[in-house]
Amino acid sequence: MSVSRRGFLQGLGVGRTAHVSAFMAARGHEEYVAEAMEPQGGQGGRPMRPNLPPGVEAIRISSNENPLGPGKAAIAAVLGKFPEANRYPFNSTPLDADLEILIAKLNAGKRENVVLGVGSQELLKNAARVFMSPTRHLVIPSPTYGDPAGFAQNALHYTLKSAPVSEKTLKTDLSVLLPLVKGAGLVYLCNPNNPTGTINSAQEIKDFIAEVKKTSPTTAVLIDEAYCDYASDPSFATAIPIALATPGVVVARTFSKAYGMAGVRIGYALGDAATIKKMTAWRMPYNVNTFGVAAAVASLKDPQHIKDESARNKAVRDFTIKALADLGYPSTESQTNFIFTDIGKTMTAAAFRDACAAKGVMVGRDFPPLEKQWTRISLGTMEEMQKATEVFRSVLKPATTTASGKGQ
Amino acid sequence: MALSRRQFVQTAGIGAGAALTSSVWGRGRENSVWSAFEAELQAVEKGVICIASNENPVGPGKKVLDSLRALLEGGARPGRYSNQTGELTEAICAHFKVKPENVLLSEGSTEILRAATQVFTAKTKPLVGTIPTYEECAGYAELIGNPVHGVKLSSEFKIDLDPFLAASKGAGLVFYCNPNNPTATYVGAKATRDFLSKLNSASPDTTVLIDEAYFDYVTDPDHQTHVPIALENPRVIVARTFSKAYGMAGLRQGYAIGHPDTIKKMRPWVGSSGTGSLNVFGLAAATVAIAQDNTFTTNERNRNKAVREMVTKWFADRGMKPTDCQANFMFVNIGTPAKAFREACRAKGVMVARDFPPFEKTHARISLGTMEEMTKAVQVFGDVLAKKSTAAA
Repeated sequence: MSVSRRGFLQGLGVGRTAHVSAFMAARGHEEYVAEAMEPQGGQGGRPMRPNLPPGVEAIRISSNENPLGPGKAAIAAVLGKFPEANRYPFNSTPLDADLEILIAKLNAGKRENVVLGVGSQELLKNAARVFMSPTRHLVIPSPTYGDPAGFAQNALHYTLKSAPVSEKTLKTDLSVLLPLVKGAGLVYLCNPNNPTGTINSAQEIKDFIAEVKKTSPTTAVLIDEAYCDYASDPSFATAIPIALATPGVVVARTFSKAYGMAGVRIGYALGDAATIKKMTAWRMPYNVNTFGVAAAVASLKDPQHIKDESARNKAVRDFTIKALADLGYPSTESQTNFIFTDIGKTMTAAAFRDACAAKGVMVGRDFPPLEKQWTRISLGTMEEMQKATEVFRSVLKPATTTASGKGQ
Repeated sequence: MALSRRQFVQTAGIGAGAALTSSVWGRGRENSVWSAFEAELQAVEKGVICIASNENPVGPGKKVLDSLRALLEGGARPGRYSNQTGELTEAICAHFKVKPENVLLSEGSTEILRAATQVFTAKTKPLVGTIPTYEECAGYAELIGNPVHGVKLSSEFKIDLDPFLAASKGAGLVFYCNPNNPTATYVGAKATRDFLSKLNSASPDTTVLIDEAYFDYVTDPDHQTHVPIALENPRVIVARTFSKAYGMAGLRQGYAIGHPDTIKKMRPWVGSSGTGSLNVFGLAAATVAIAQDNTFTTNERNRNKAVREMVTKWFADRGMKPTDCQANFMFVNIGTPAKAFREACRAKGVMVARDFPPFEKTHARISLGTMEEMTKAVQVFGDVLAKKSTAAA
């Protein structure tokens, strides 16, 4: 079988006839976990997908991906790696270790403060394995990114305690999490939070960690900063300095979001040396692919690209939030590359998703317990969002049928 | 007798003082760091011949790389999650004439080895493997706190089937690496089938994981994959990788083939069962690679065989007989510690593999580079080993 260009593009998620496979390519990890699979599908079954009209090229704003992908430097780095495709990550140039060293340097840490993962996914799972046990539960806000809880409950059969986000702002309410932490193995915070898009300020995080350490000194805190590069609120700051200084505090990062490399599968975690050593014990050998390592190194050396991406995203975010507000649908104070919007007075997330899909726009899945009221919309390019907001307008305010003399 | 990983080695005749750091005995981490804390960084500098990690020295081939290049230069952007595992699954299904429910994609075959160990071993159901073999299963069993039993190889450094069978009764998982890493020996298809059948009768709840990582390099006349047995028998799994003959160690793509019930049990334990855990480069390249006709692997097998014969003869001519090599590496009794040999070769620009207890005092594992590389490498071996014998004299 010769694989056509088109086949490859699918492999890279660029999509051909959109209704068949582009949707799958665009699926975010959390959606896979959450949604039903066809048991007979390929790897792990195929995610269910809404029906797109034949021939319609989808706008995929369902998985919090960067619509532009990585920068030129990253692509060039990947092309430069071709002669070394045969080499393991520990024999290639740059080494996987070179990426660890660069990450350490950029964060004022040492190599022993860093562990690489296949995306942040591996790190989130390994944190559950390291810090939890049958008697040491997980604490999460609800809703949040579902992977740690899903793995802890379904694969490891560990227990979970959760508390709702603030009813008014949908911000993670740290004060209601605190009473749950005593004896916990791990507290998982996603900051900015997925799917609500909101942040907790640097001060709130700092105070929370101090309280956790006071109440339950052996409880670990994992802060997932997947979307940190998109935060523009000056009260936000990374928790990496705290993680480096505090045993049992880990910050996870990914190249899948602002760095535009969801398909490349590189993530990392930082913490103090003893904590990271525990995480490293679970790291799968040769876990990161060499093309991805090269792309990640090149990207980290091109910080301007991330600044530009963050500014581009903010303009699109402001535009989209305003467009929906103008229609009467408020969003949370998003600090990410997606927004979370209250459409409850008109329809549920499922109805909205199906109606948008029928017009070629793929938005996020249900996020219980808020799925009756709130929808998550990832941010594409400005051009995509201009088209998408037209679709939202027609879906949320269906044009009244013109009773034009047909006797209806 | 349940053994920890450390005891596993000690039983095989290694003293407690041996260098059992995790980086050496660790995770089959080849010649590199297992722990992220070691200062030692071993980039393959320009001009250095790296024959340490059983890689294919010529890579995945022009067709695969041209396709990837066209894709990237054509403006494709790997910015999307790769839920796109269907195409590779289909290509594997077409190659082996199997169904999607028989296939489990993974990050290298490492993840298959871990998943099988996770699912099929328990506190009361040990892992059984040979000493030595590829260590990933043993390392992971130890990580999750399950026992490991080790069985010595035969005097020919092959899996010693009778004692291995006896030790495998009652096991949760038997790791059957064929050809075996690091010894390069191969057990013929018929003998393996007999082993599987006897074990299945004697211990019906024991699962066997057959690691066929080096399958494409085997030239033994009794050479057959055990995929057909795995499809029928829920207690047999075959692991494969694109890291060896397909030349894509950097792209981290592997898979298992097995009975649907078995694959289903392992699926929750591979990252690819969550979305987007497989990288798009590996998925795309592997899809093209396995869809090629078998000329690619035949050519690679023949290329490797010619190099293997040259290097085997070179050692044999000097009285150092390698094991019966059926892989892209050799295991040679050099009569001197591997460490000293390794360091001396490294100083002359040739990287060979790490220690493989319990044979590290006498045997070196040497991966096979290109003919050109190996022609240079044997000159270095000659210098290094001559110096040793001079020094000893």
